Amino acid sequence: MSTHLPRQTTTPDGQPSTDADRRVAVRFSDVTHEYGSSGRGDDRTVTALRDVSFDVRAGEIVGLEGPSGSGKSTILHAVSGLLVPAEGSIELHGTDLTALSDAERTRLRRRHVGIVFQRFHLLPSLSARANVALPLVQAGVPRKTRRERAESLLEEVGLGDRITHLPGELSGGERQRVAIARALVTDPDVIVADEPTGELDTATGASVLELLTDIGRDRAMVVASHDDETLAVADRVVTLRDGRVVVNEG
Amino acid sequence: MSSRLRRGATRLRAVIGLAVAQLRRSPSRTVITVFAVSLAVLSVTLLASLGVGVVSTGEDGLENAGRDIWISSDPIDPAASGTENPIVGAHTVSAEMTARDDVSSAAPIAVHELYVGDGDGDLERTSAVGVHETHDGFGFEEGAGFKTEMNHSEEDYSIADRPDGPTEEEIVLEPGTADALGVSVGDTVTIGTSRETVEDNEFTVVGIASYYSQFLGTDVETVPLTDLQAIAGTAGTDRATFITASVEDDADTEAVAAELDEEYAAYDVRPSDEQVGAMVEERPLVLASGATLIGLAVVGGIVLTINLFALVAYQQRDELAALRAIGLSRWVLAGTIGAQGLVIGLLGGLVGLAATPLLAAGFNRLAGALVGFDSLLQTPVEVYLAGFALALVLGSVVALLTGWRAGRYARLDRLEA
Repeated sequence: MSTHLPRQTTTPDGQPSTDADRRVAVRFSDVTHEYGSSGRGDDRTVTALRDVSFDVRAGEIVGLEGPSGSGKSTILHAVSGLLVPAEGSIELHGTDLTALSDAERTRLRRRHVGIVFQRFHLLPSLSARANVALPLVQAGVPRKTRRERAESLLEEVGLGDRITHLPGELSGGERQRVAIARALVTDPDVIVADEPTGELDTATGASVLELLTDIGRDRAMVVASHDDETLAVADRVVTLRDGRVVVNEG
Repeated sequence: MSSRLRRGATRLRAVIGLAVAQLRRSPSRTVITVFAVSLAVLSVTLLASLGVGVVSTGEDGLENAGRDIWISSDPIDPAASGTENPIVGAHTVSAEMTARDDVSSAAPIAVHELYVGDGDGDLERTSAVGVHETHDGFGFEEGAGFKTEMNHSEEDYSIADRPDGPTEEEIVLEPGTADALGVSVGDTVTIGTSRETVEDNEFTVVGIASYYSQFLGTDVETVPLTDLQAIAGTAGTDRATFITASVEDDADTEAVAAELDEEYAAYDVRPSDEQVGAMVEERPLVLASGATLIGLAVVGGIVLTINLFALVAYQQRDELAALRAIGLSRWVLAGTIGAQGLVIGLLGGLVGLAATPLLAAGFNRLAGALVGFDSLLQTPVEVYLAGFALALVLGSVVALLTGWRAGRYARLDRLEA
């Protein structure tokens, strides 16, 4: 059984990739970001990231750890292009996200970034297959192809017999597997996971992690977590305190 | 077809498919909203059918009455205190009209509140129509009618000849009144326009018929006009509610009506086919009630459906925000919710239209059993068109508003930072 869909062979801007591009999938350079500027004075703003710099290479799993409010989620949002930092640059396969328009960032995210949420965020009235296929609707992929792709991914994550089940009929672990299949359906280069085992018991969390590491083998993956077992699967852990990188080691 | 268009069409098909899939997975919500929309559509189709039926039944009734022209004066409201007979000198006006070459006959009609007693103290409050004579179209259940000997409208007698008191002393009773008082043809009843005067006048029941009740929507007794005026005390001023006229066979009804309208500027002169419409228009409360019923049903249907789908969007706000983060556009997300509203609008419309003829037939059977009209609700194709147009408008409004609400929830800043 095939375990992976055909991989992208071009960069986000459509140019053929080079060895150097493949090596570094995500590059943060001196990124600083502030939240909550209300225009009533600088004292109202919260600095979420301060001079953050690190790289994620293709095939590498990078863990983000740190207490709540240390900037983990901000980094995930920035990698996904959901926010543009006040200073610094973020490159995705050599393309500077901060130089793109909203629409361009959205397109880039749709094609090259897969997101796994802590709370799965599946639409409750759609089957597992329809939930997995949703991102392909936006791309205008025909129904037959959408179904085939969603079914093959659900088989890949071990849910071949749950294809037509509703999220409410699945266990927490199974729902997260559906969410992982959904993140993979556009065959992204970068996977971003925010507390992927946060809602699961230890045994279920371990099997989800195994799946994540398996699919992340030749993709770049950034995983934010409080959980030591989750961080243990990372090749390298970046530790954050008050928006700063305090440790960056493998 | 360009690939961009093809992708757009695929996306649209997928959005509708997702909407239908979501509706199928929530059957109770779907049934409730379809029911709400079909009720709104039914309120429009059934009330419109009733309007069409009432006007057409009234027109048929006037046609049966055989009168071409109706002359009235504001206000026409026989229900209000029963004394609205605004045409003064009615017999003189009728005689003047009859004298015209193009009018074959003209006669006044008066409407009064009436008390009828059985002589033993039992009283019924009802209405009376005063006319010169009854005719074959009355459909007597029992007995026959009456004919006033001295018809002052025919120029046979001068106004001065008119007696002060009742002369004919005959009455045609409504079946309900006859039942209530336990009287039948040949019995004597007492009548008056107030409780105090009801014992003063003894009339003989000559027939039982509900002919005028059809027009006035209430129990109506039929009394010789001059007798009714005499007991109501309007013989001196000679008051009436309507004057009806028949034109000669070779005369043009519209033209005669126009001439009379000019001649009698103080009165409203209408050909009979316009009279029913005018009478309905002069009952703003009835029209307002109908409009309110439709309004409530439509607004109720819209609000219920929008609220249900807005609630769905609200419950799924985190999922919508997450899907937006994944890269689905606001239009696609709002579309899946909005399309559900549109599908519900169309389904509800079709159910409402399908139920219209069944319910109309049911109501007609009921109306036939209760008041004797068996085609009170009529459903020409325009009624269905109006219902379908409403369903389309309703579906679109629901789709737009729920889609807009869903679009508002599908925002990135809903994702916890």
